[in-house]
Amino acid sequence: MTATDFLNLFISALLLAGTYAAMAVGMTVIYGVMKIVNLAHAGFLMLGAYFVYELHERTGMHPLLGVLLAFPAFFAAGVLVHWVLGRGMPVSDTPTLASLLLMFGLWLVLQNIGYLVWGTDDRSILTPMTFATIRFGDITIPKIGLVVFASAAVSLAALEFILHKTWFGRSIRALIQNRYACRIVGIPVEQTARLTFGLGVAFAGAAGGLLALLYPFSPDFGRPFLLRSFVIIVLGGLESFSGVFVGALILALVETFSILIVPSSYQPAISFSLLVLALIVLPGGVAGLVARLRSRKAA
Amino acid sequence: MNEGGNFRAAGASRAIPPLLLLAAMAVLPMFHLGPNTIKLLFLTFVWVTASVGWNILGGFAGQISFGFAVFFGLGAYSTAVGINRGLSPYLTYPIAAAVAAFASLLIGLPTFRLRGPYFAIATIGVSEAVRVVMTNLDFTGGSSGYRITELGPFRQTEHYYTALALAAFAVGISMVVRSSRFGLGLRAIRDDQDAAADSGVNPYASKLAAHAIAAALTGAAGGVFARYSAFIDPEGVFGFHRSVGILLMPVIGGVNTIWGPVIGGGVYGMIEEELVAKFPQFHLLLYGVLVMLIILFEPGGVMGLLQRSRRFLLRRRVASWQHS
Repeated sequence: MTATDFLNLFISALLLAGTYAAMAVGMTVIYGVMKIVNLAHAGFLMLGAYFVYELHERTGMHPLLGVLLAFPAFFAAGVLVHWVLGRGMPVSDTPTLASLLLMFGLWLVLQNIGYLVWGTDDRSILTPMTFATIRFGDITIPKIGLVVFASAAVSLAALEFILHKTWFGRSIRALIQNRYACRIVGIPVEQTARLTFGLGVAFAGAAGGLLALLYPFSPDFGRPFLLRSFVIIVLGGLESFSGVFVGALILALVETFSILIVPSSYQPAISFSLLVLALIVLPGGVAGLVARLRSRKAA
Repeated sequence: MNEGGNFRAAGASRAIPPLLLLAAMAVLPMFHLGPNTIKLLFLTFVWVTASVGWNILGGFAGQISFGFAVFFGLGAYSTAVGINRGLSPYLTYPIAAAVAAFASLLIGLPTFRLRGPYFAIATIGVSEAVRVVMTNLDFTGGSSGYRITELGPFRQTEHYYTALALAAFAVGISMVVRSSRFGLGLRAIRDDQDAAADSGVNPYASKLAAHAIAAALTGAAGGVFARYSAFIDPEGVFGFHRSVGILLMPVIGGVNTIWGPVIGGGVYGMIEEELVAKFPQFHLLLYGVLVMLIILFEPGGVMGLLQRSRRFLLRRRVASWQHS
């Protein structure tokens, strides 16, 4: 492998990492606040892809505008789902079996509504950007990858702003740390949880739209990405936002460079192997590792 | 919690309905039912076995797995390879169970070390990873499937009784586990892992053991299924819908009970064939709605519903007695 090949792969890994981070962050907020593993994340990713697709096909809307519209649309959908499921969505300290199964049922429902509406065929969103590349000497960057990366980066920056500069964001971060203390200082826990669920679903929908620009999709689109999202947040330490970025980068690097050694038909097994490896070597994720190193230094 | 004590005390009278059921099932083929009915019952027994197996881990120990198709599929392939190598089918079922139990250890060793949702999510990946590997494995035909060539005539009733015996064995294991010290430990882990560990239960080892027992039963069910089908393919036995089905049965019937998974398996076995044939995509939608409704309104499933209605009837009887 030449240096340019390496650089090309490295750049595509970096671009992928941005999208992966946007994809996984929705799962982190929901897990952090409610300790619910949102298995329906896969369903919302898929619906996000079709949302952008339909807008593009029917109205000729630019896909990126569709992704932007996905945020409010899926936020509303998430809040609605949380409201409908009501008492089935407890705010708890540990993931409950009931919430796991409930989200699983929701995922099955969303996925198969997808099958009913769109059938089993693969679809893709093609724009003039799709096959365009930008060249710097020997280095080629796919234009679509760059655009998707930029959109993901902007939305993540917006999320950082919300989390750190607004009261809603502060209450989310407080809830992740200690739910009981939140009640004492008067944070409306249930309301914040509902809005957080909306926020997580909004990110799932928008990320699904972004992924649809990169890959063809079918109603089963979300499943491999659900596992990837989980690998990312496990690598990141489940509740840490900066951990998500690290996790996304690790997964993107491993996936991109593994095509050199692993046959492509075995690719789907990679994220799982990484998960097992992370569980054995790095329980607690990168955040846990950092915390351990810090405490060792302090001691 | 005194279920275990009751079981022993009232053992004689409580054992009668299950034994009657078993006897009824055993004499059923003598009424010259059509081959389709026998096939339906055979499949139901297979599903009941897998369902009872899942419940030992998911119900008793409270560890939800979305990947039991792995054990079902590994069991199916072990039996298939065994029969093709000339082994007696009855020798291949224990092998299928052992292979599945071994696989369960490989999955459980890393994922049970941590508390929380790790195990449940990892199981979604496991079935995917194993399916991918099996699709690419040459010696079992890869994605185009694997044919089992067994010499001798096809005797449907033999298959029927094998499946019935296995289902009865599974229910027996489930009863033994539930009333044993080990089962009590599992339920303690489910309720409060810290308290269980403080009272001398080893959560890690107990979960691994429960996983292995559950996997072994499911693997044997897969083996019995494979011998009947005579042809298996990765999508059919390792497919995600398989995992969904195995999870669904105990949830429908009522997790953490002896008879819930049996009822769930019966219901599922009876409707699955029809449903899949009529609505190939729609049936999973229906299952999803069903899971959500059960969790929201009756987490105890059919068993919970039965208990609730019995309590309701009792209360009415008491009320009418007070009025008169």
